[in-house]
Amino acid sequence: MATGFFTDSTLCIGCKACEVACKQWNELPSDGFEFTGNSYDNTSQLSGTTWRHVDFVERESVDAEGIATSWSMLSDVCKHCTHAGCLEACPTGAIIRNEFGSVFVQPDICNGCGYCVVSCPFGVIDLIEAVGRGDDAAKYSVATLHDDRLNERKTAVQATGGVAGKCTLCYDRQRVGMVPACAKACPTESIQFGEIDDLRERAKRRVETLQARGVDARLYGADDVGGGIGALNAFFLLTDSPEAYNLPAEPVLPSTRQAMGYAAAAFAALTLATIGWAIFRGEGGAA
Amino acid sequence: MKSYYDRPLLKGPHWGSNVVTYLFLGGIMGGLGLISLLADDRPEPEMKKLRKATRYTAFALAAINPPILISHLGRPERFFNMLRIVKFKSPMSLGVWGLVLYSGAAGANAVRELADDGIVPKMLRYIAPSATVPIQALLGAFMAGYTGVLISATAIPFWATGKRHIPAFSVCSGAASASALATLLSTLQGNHDVIPRLERLEMAASALEVALIADFRRRGGAATAPFFEGRVGTRLRDFTILGGIVVPFALNAIGGAFKLPKSLDALRSIAASTLTLVGGYVLRESLIEAGKLSANDPHVAFRQPS
Repeated sequence: MATGFFTDSTLCIGCKACEVACKQWNELPSDGFEFTGNSYDNTSQLSGTTWRHVDFVERESVDAEGIATSWSMLSDVCKHCTHAGCLEACPTGAIIRNEFGSVFVQPDICNGCGYCVVSCPFGVIDLIEAVGRGDDAAKYSVATLHDDRLNERKTAVQATGGVAGKCTLCYDRQRVGMVPACAKACPTESIQFGEIDDLRERAKRRVETLQARGVDARLYGADDVGGGIGALNAFFLLTDSPEAYNLPAEPVLPSTRQAMGYAAAAFAALTLATIGWAIFRGEGGAA
Repeated sequence: MKSYYDRPLLKGPHWGSNVVTYLFLGGIMGGLGLISLLADDRPEPEMKKLRKATRYTAFALAAINPPILISHLGRPERFFNMLRIVKFKSPMSLGVWGLVLYSGAAGANAVRELADDGIVPKMLRYIAPSATVPIQALLGAFMAGYTGVLISATAIPFWATGKRHIPAFSVCSGAASASALATLLSTLQGNHDVIPRLERLEMAASALEVALIADFRRRGGAATAPFFEGRVGTRLRDFTILGGIVVPFALNAIGGAFKLPKSLDALRSIAASTLTLVGGYVLRESLIEAGKLSANDPHVAFRQPS
């Protein structure tokens, strides 16, 4: 049974309760404060320690009565792709697909090589900064860590960082039958959690309703997004083009380029080996 | 064009000079595998000397390159987690195994050389059957090329656009750098007779390399701008294209065409080799730095290359 998120931008009020609930439950440290001037978005992006991020899209429309600004908010999150670039790239097998169909980084296996970071077509996963080892580890956001979880090293960041981090779809909560923290905290049910098939049906009904009301509503990731990635287990309802929410219009699964890459390398190697053979072992070369 | 406040869509690589060094030395290891094979099993004394030099150097590089790779990890003590699986879909996974196997083959071949020199017991030469030499060359070709595949198989638009070119010119650069290093070693050994052949191999590899880079520039489109333009592009032009390929090629051509006085010829050959090695390093550095710049441009990342 695969579970996922359906995040509906038309219901989002931009309260960021999802960001806070996620940070609190997963004991993720602050990324610091930077005033961006980009609407109300000072979080800016998903990162190794920010697993929900609310986009604030401001749009201006001009008519006879003047200039009107409309807002569209959307809580972005790891897409938990059907064919995930990060999972395929991971050389340690730290990134797995768990029993809920989610893409999960095992923090005790990851060695922080960073290959998943550049292999995500959505720019989601990132490395968590290392802040020291051994006794030093206690420095890591120790104020928010409960003693028992610190001792058992069960926290997502393994107390010291240096590993990759992203949304776990609240694997720990799901295992005991709880709803992920962000969905639980969302006051408008903009973030809905459930079985993927149910969510897709709900999303399709919702988009029909909105379109009937004249809203430019569209789904992103409920069906195959192309590029070999397939459908997304966390999909979205948008009221603008994907780019407006910093989502790629045409994402591509990176591993699809490997065959061509190896062929190109083999071509060069064979060419040089042939030339080298002629130079070193050919008739003229041995002279 | 629409974007989200021009914020980057993708996350760039966290890789720094240790990864650049790893890529550079990995390319040389690959090229040395080829030269070692070309010099293998030949009666000429200069070939025997070349074989010895390449085998020992390949082994030395196989010893120092893994620690450089490990040093870039967020959790270096967990390097061995890479050896718990083999994943054909991950060039990083295959690359680590390639490195391990190459190091094994290079080690066996070095021991065989030591046994032939009488430094270790003669019996140990059977550690490396003669097939180990072509095996090392084959693994070497993989070592020189997989890093190009590795970066092409990512979401970074510049790297992704280069799937036909980057792996191929990485192999060429590795072979040219290895020839240059072998030339320097042969100069040190006083093995002057083999140098013209090494220089011809270097010229061939450099010529193919520059042709591939030119083709990449012509066909690559907007996504290649971070590589060919700006600060990275200037360094690439000065140190790799001009300093690392054109000038050494000319110097090697002069060496091949005219009979220069011995000391002047040695100077010429040392200069050409050093410039080629610097050019090889700057090529890898430019690839990584351009990858970082490319990740910052959301517009090219919205529609990703196939």
